[in-house]
Order: sequence, then structure tokens, then C-alpha cells
Amino acid sequence: MADNLPSEFDVVVIGTGLPESIIAAACSRSGQRVLHVDSRNYYGGNWASFSFSGLSSWIKENQQKTDISEESEDWRKLILETEEAICLNKKDKTIQNVEDVCYASQDLAEDVKEAGALPNLPDFEASETSEAAQESEKECLPVESQSLGTASCEISSERIIGNDPGSTTERKDAEMTSERENLCDVTSDQSPLETGKTETISTTEAAALEPKKITYTQIVKEGRRFNIDLVSKLLYSRGLLIDLLMKSNVSRYAEFKNVTRILTFQEERVEQVPCSRADVFNSKQLTMVEKRMLMKFLTFCLDYEQHPDAYQDYKEYKFSEYLKTQKLTAKLQHFILHSIAMVSAADSNTIEGLKATKNFLQCLGRYGNTPFLFPLYGQGEIPQCFCRMCAVFGGIYCLRHSVQCLVVDKESGRCKAIIDHFGQRINANYFVVEDSYLSEETCTDVCYRQISRAVLITDQSVLKTDSDQQISILIVPPMELGQPAVRIIELCSSTMTCMKNTYLVHFTSSSTKTAKEDLEPVVQKLFTLNAETERESKNGGLEKPRVLWAVYFNMRDSSGIDRNSYDHLPSNVYVCSGPDSALGNDYAVKQAETLFQEMFPNEEFCPSPPNPEDIIYDGDGTPPEDPRFSNSSNMKTEPLSEESSDENSYKISEEHHKE
Amino acid sequence: MSMEDYDFLFKIVLIGNAGVGKTCLVRRFTQGLFPPGQGATIGVDFMIKTVDINGEKVKLQIWDTAGQERFRSITQSYYRSANALILTYDITCEESFRCLPEWLREIEQYASNKVITVLVGNKIDLAEKREVSQQRAEEFSEAQNMYYLETSAKESDNVEKLFLDLACRLISEARQNTLVNNVASPLPGEGKSISYLTCCNLN
Repeated sequence: MADNLPSEFDVVVIGTGLPESIIAAACSRSGQRVLHVDSRNYYGGNWASFSFSGLSSWIKENQQKTDISEESEDWRKLILETEEAICLNKKDKTIQNVEDVCYASQDLAEDVKEAGALPNLPDFEASETSEAAQESEKECLPVESQSLGTASCEISSERIIGNDPGSTTERKDAEMTSERENLCDVTSDQSPLETGKTETISTTEAAALEPKKITYTQIVKEGRRFNIDLVSKLLYSRGLLIDLLMKSNVSRYAEFKNVTRILTFQEERVEQVPCSRADVFNSKQLTMVEKRMLMKFLTFCLDYEQHPDAYQDYKEYKFSEYLKTQKLTAKLQHFILHSIAMVSAADSNTIEGLKATKNFLQCLGRYGNTPFLFPLYGQGEIPQCFCRMCAVFGGIYCLRHSVQCLVVDKESGRCKAIIDHFGQRINANYFVVEDSYLSEETCTDVCYRQISRAVLITDQSVLKTDSDQQISILIVPPMELGQPAVRIIELCSSTMTCMKNTYLVHFTSSSTKTAKEDLEPVVQKLFTLNAETERESKNGGLEKPRVLWAVYFNMRDSSGIDRNSYDHLPSNVYVCSGPDSALGNDYAVKQAETLFQEMFPNEEFCPSPPNPEDIIYDGDGTPPEDPRFSNSSNMKTEPLSEESSDENSYKISEEHHKE
Repeated sequence: MSMEDYDFLFKIVLIGNAGVGKTCLVRRFTQGLFPPGQGATIGVDFMIKTVDINGEKVKLQIWDTAGQERFRSITQSYYRSANALILTYDITCEESFRCLPEWLREIEQYASNKVITVLVGNKIDLAEKREVSQQRAEEFSEAQNMYYLETSAKESDNVEKLFLDLACRLISEARQNTLVNNVASPLPGEGKSISYLTCCNLN
């Protein structure tokens, strides 16, 4: 599939995270020739989502701290005397402290691999798969496995990876084998996963216990049912991202589901927060008086600006203090602070709290009972949708494409070109670079924050109800002062992010320590880590869901960084941040729009593209009622006429080319 | 205006190496054009053609790769919610045939597991340059449980047949309701909008 890449573009975008992808789409849409590259073999950077095997590879890659071997510096010959080079990063350093732990029973069946492997698939070429090709390019030095004496059943963090460039399936088998060997190496005094025991449990007791006990093997087999996001966010139904998706028609590439429940964790119990009018009235946890109090307060928040006297005296107070002055019970105050306003008890003032509450209420009811939407197949779909839009308007896409350096003209101080890993020099006028691609030299003065993340595969919901298909968000307030609140999003299998009978649970907080230190205490409050013991049902108490598998990691938060703290960047190089820790996506959208307007002040940002159904033939001339929804709300079905369709499609391309 | 002037709506997605004639097939079928001309597809997300199958109006929404296959960078989301895939290679280009397993892996990874896949060998008008025999392709498609058809977008050979046969199969699969087994995706033939957002009632 070798093909020559053109050497002249208007805009080169490096990195396929959300802001970069939005910018690429906006530029392409406004007629710019866009080259969009990513050094990885997947879309999204730290916004990506992975199948289970994909995530396992990602984990391995990030646990290997070995640097890539030195590459040839031949490309330096391409730099003229009047130019200088700004080298880009060779290895991503935004992910740290990656630790995966398996709690599910690991039966040692042979040949565990992802199900659905194609029958008799001939391998025409050994290096066919992109993955295999990609991995064989890298140095995968065998690393001695460490014996983790303390951990009960952790998968050894460094696995032996064969240097076999064979087919994916073969390679997977090899990995599985080495994994198993490693597991046996792990010396554990209290391991519930001693191999012999495991087998008996899984075969004989499984049926008698809870229905459908999921083993590690099943997770691996059903691996492609998982779409595990590196970043856990939701879309506010009146947030900037929804507006942009609709305005640009990118919404047609994705499907969404409503978040169904807002949960709260109070007095060691998980409860549902009533937030819509109907919820409040149907709530069994609230007394009649509380229902009235809550409705009254929420009604006030909807237009709090109109009643300044109600909060004027408390402006300087913390929102949590202000709530105490209102006629609200402690339970209601907790609901409002943590589950509706979702603001920090320690930091947020009254105005911030009221504003957040109002925003929440305004988003309520647009699409459903909660203010949030979640994209099917995961958040990782969203950047890709913008990339598709960019490609539809002529943008060129290259994954697995590294950039060696930016070429800067000494006299003008502007960036002129990039040199890629093939040594090809590609000229452009504008360069958009994601933060993680910038070298340490460029970023010496930059101070980054960190995000703590955990992803769990569990066997039950944290709050069981009649329906097992719930999407829930739960904020756990800090257990000790000075600690961050932990945001939890629990996804069910109908979000297409996990296999049947499991849940995918995302934990996010700002970091104070390693992700595991920050988040494991909260995990332990909500879940049982020992998947093999029978559920404790003493005192008829609540059964906690079991964790089958978990991964912890810290991710760099490069949001909110002043452009000037990057050293020596030319003015036509624009920097995008990686994911921030907020729940919504407003930061990324705002950043994309701001940078696009800086580059092209006179261009509209992502205007609605022509509707494909309109391109093909002329309608009756009347514009759709609401252009944002024209895609599907007006299904015209006249037979197509060749002439008109032809004419119209050309009209589009003309439109595109005129500046 | 009636919302549903069709009985079925299907999303058909084309994949295969660059230059095998995917866009030509779509253009030939939807517009009767060949060649489609350079750059003409810019800004066009998908093409629509409504066909009549035994008295049923079937709307086919046919998606092209937007060039992302050139450097093997197709987005996963491209495969989602497709009812059928047309995997195309060029009978005069051995390389495009050798890449088929790679494409099948992508399908397996990202497409719905009940998606219908058709293998198409295009450019039979260039018979004298043929590099992939019909028998080889037939054996391959049989082993992978795919339909196989050879076409010429240029001469319009088998192009109608390709899409109409596919439409027939999609209808019968939709009737059996086995096409998409997950509750989340819109079932084919329900005429639901592609985007969940747009079928919501806005207040």
C-alpha cells in the first residue's frame, strides 16, 4: 500500500487527540490542505479507547521504560544553514505508574486468545498486520520478570515479549503463554489464585455460586467487546461538544446513550440521587418535606441571578457553607454539593456552586433524565469522528507516522516544515502539535499536573436495580481533608464498552500520589477485591460487586498551560493539550476553537457541511426547519436524478476550493 | 412530508486498498458515472440510492473511505453500525488481493459481528492484465464465508447486481431480525436515524 505523501500542505497536525482532531476538521472544512499524523498505530493519543488485548499491549508498552535505540541522524542533512531544527519527543512520557491486577480466576486452559479468530485465514505476508509491523519495528527486549512477593495475584508488571514478528494470532498465543508462566513465577503466600485451586473452583463451584462467574480467560476471549477509554468523560447535553457535534454534523458518525443515574455515596451506602422533578417525587429515600425543600431550592437555582438578595450575603462563603444556611437537610446538602453541582466542598464559593447547579439543571431533560450523554463504543470514538470529517474534506491521514523535527527559518523565526521518520521534508504554513510530542528541552519550564485513573472490570453494578443496563456517575467526596474527590463512571454492556455480564468502572481524580494510592481506598469501599471468596452476606448486609480485573495509571494533565512557558516555539506552531481532568469536554473544544481562530481569524469554525442527501439532488428549495437536524429529520426519498446530482456534487467541490 | 418514504434503510460501507475502484463502484451505481473525476468526492460523506426490490423501497446509504485507506488509517468508527461491507480488490493487482486478510482483521475487530461482507474483484474489463484468478478468489471467499462477485465499474458489469443482491440479502436478514444482535444499534429497516442525537425530542 506504499503511496507517496505530498510535500506541500497548509496545515500539519501532529497528534490525533480531541483538540487536534477538531482543529484538523475545522481547517479541512475551511478549505485548507491538511496532513494529520500520529506516531501511534491508533487514533486518539491519550483520548483513545482499546479492546482488552489492545489495552494489554498499551500497558506493556508503558511499563517498559527502555528508550528506543538511537536512530540515524541522516535527516539533519536536510536542514539548511539558514534553518534550525526543533526535535520532537521520541517516546511518550505522559503515562506513569501503570499497574494491572487480575482478581478473576485464571483457569489455565490452553490456547487462550480473542474469540472470533478468522477461520483458515491465510497469511500472505508475515508482516501484514499493522500491529505486528509496528511492534517489530521497536526493540522488544526480553525483560526479566520480577517476582512480586507482596502482591497476591498481580500480573507481573514486566512480561517477556517475544521478538516474533509473526502473525497476530501466533503472537498473542506467545504472549498468553509467557503471561501464564510469569503468573506461576509470582510467589505468593496468600494467593487465592493458586493454580490447582482455581481450576476446581471455576469448574465445580461456579455453577452453584452466583450466576455467570466471569474468568480471566473469558475476558480475554471476549476481548474485543471491550472499548476501554484512557480518559473518562461525559458529554453535558448542553455542553460545547454537543453543540459542535451538531453544528458540524459530525454527530452523524456517532451514537450516544443517556447516562441513566446520578449516584451518591453517603454513610457507606450508594444511593440514587433524584434530580428531575419526576425523580424527586418518586424518590423513596426522601421524606415529603425533603422533596419540597429540594424542589424549592432547585427551582431557585434555575434563575438564581434574578434573586440576588437570596445569596448576596453569602457570596464570599463556600458553597457548602451557603447550603447550610438554606432550609435543607444534611442529606440534601450532600446531594446538591456532590452530585448535582459536583463542586469541591473545600474550594468552591457560593456563586460557583449556584452556577454549576444551574448548568446541571439546564442540561437536564434535553435528552433524558440526567444531564449527560455517553458515546457508544467509548469516548475514543469522538476524536475519530472529527478525523473522518477532516478526511471527507480532503485531509490526509497517516497513523504510525513519526515526526523527527520542526524546521525553523532562522531569519523569520517561523516554522517552515517538518521532517518525518522517512526523512521526507513536508512544508506547511501552520503546525499544530499535541503537548506530548514536544521534547523535554522545549518543556523544561512547563509545570504539569497529573490525573489519577483506574479502570475496573466488575461483575455487578454498584447499585443493583431491576435493569442491569444502567450508566451511572458517582462522585465520592474526599475521605480526608486535602484529598481530591473521586469521580466514578460505571458503564454497562449496552454502551458497547464491555462484555455481557460485566461492568466497566472508570475512576478519575486529580493526583496527590500514584493512581493506586489515590484510588484504591475508594475502590475497596465499593468493591470486593477478592473475587474467589464467596460473597459475604453476613447480617444480610449489602453485597459488594467483585473486581475481576483492574488497571491503575497516572496521566499527565497538560491543560491550562501558558503558551509562553514552552521554550522557543515559533509563533505558527500551536500547542494542544492532552485530556484534562474535568468531567465535560468544554476545555478541548474551547482550545480547538481558539487556536483555529488564531490561525484563520476570518473563517467560520466548523460550519454545517452540505447534507449528503441534498448534494445528490435538489429538494424543493425550502431549507430544512433546523439545519442542525437536517440529516435525519427530513428523509427525502425521491428517486435520484443523475443530472441534478452531478451538478450538485460539483457545486460542493467548487464551494470547497474557493477561498 | 412523510418521514418514511422508504421501507428499509441500510448502511453499506466500502473498504479495500486505495486504487481498486471503490469510489468508481459507488459512482457508477448511484449516478451512472465513470470515471468519477478527481476531487469530486470532496465533502461527500456518503451517497444515497433508493431502489425498488419486489415493491419495497430500499434506501441504500453507501459510505466511502474518504481516502483514509491510503496510509492504512481508517477510523474504527467507520465500521460501526454498518449493515454490509463491500470488500474490494483489483483483479489486476496481486497486492490488493494479498491485503484482504488484513482488511478482514479490521472487520472482525470493529464491525458488528452479524455484518454481511461481500468480496468484490473489480476491473474485469482489464482481463488481459489479470493477476488474481477467479478460482483463487472464489476459494478464498468460500473459506471466509463471503459472497464473491467480479465487477467492472467501467463497463458497468455486475455493479447493479452487486448492490441489488446485497439489498435483497439485507432485507431477508432484516426480516429474520438477525442482522444486528445488539440492542444499542438501530435495527436495519426500522428507518431510524443514524444518529441517536437527532432522533431525540428536543425541548
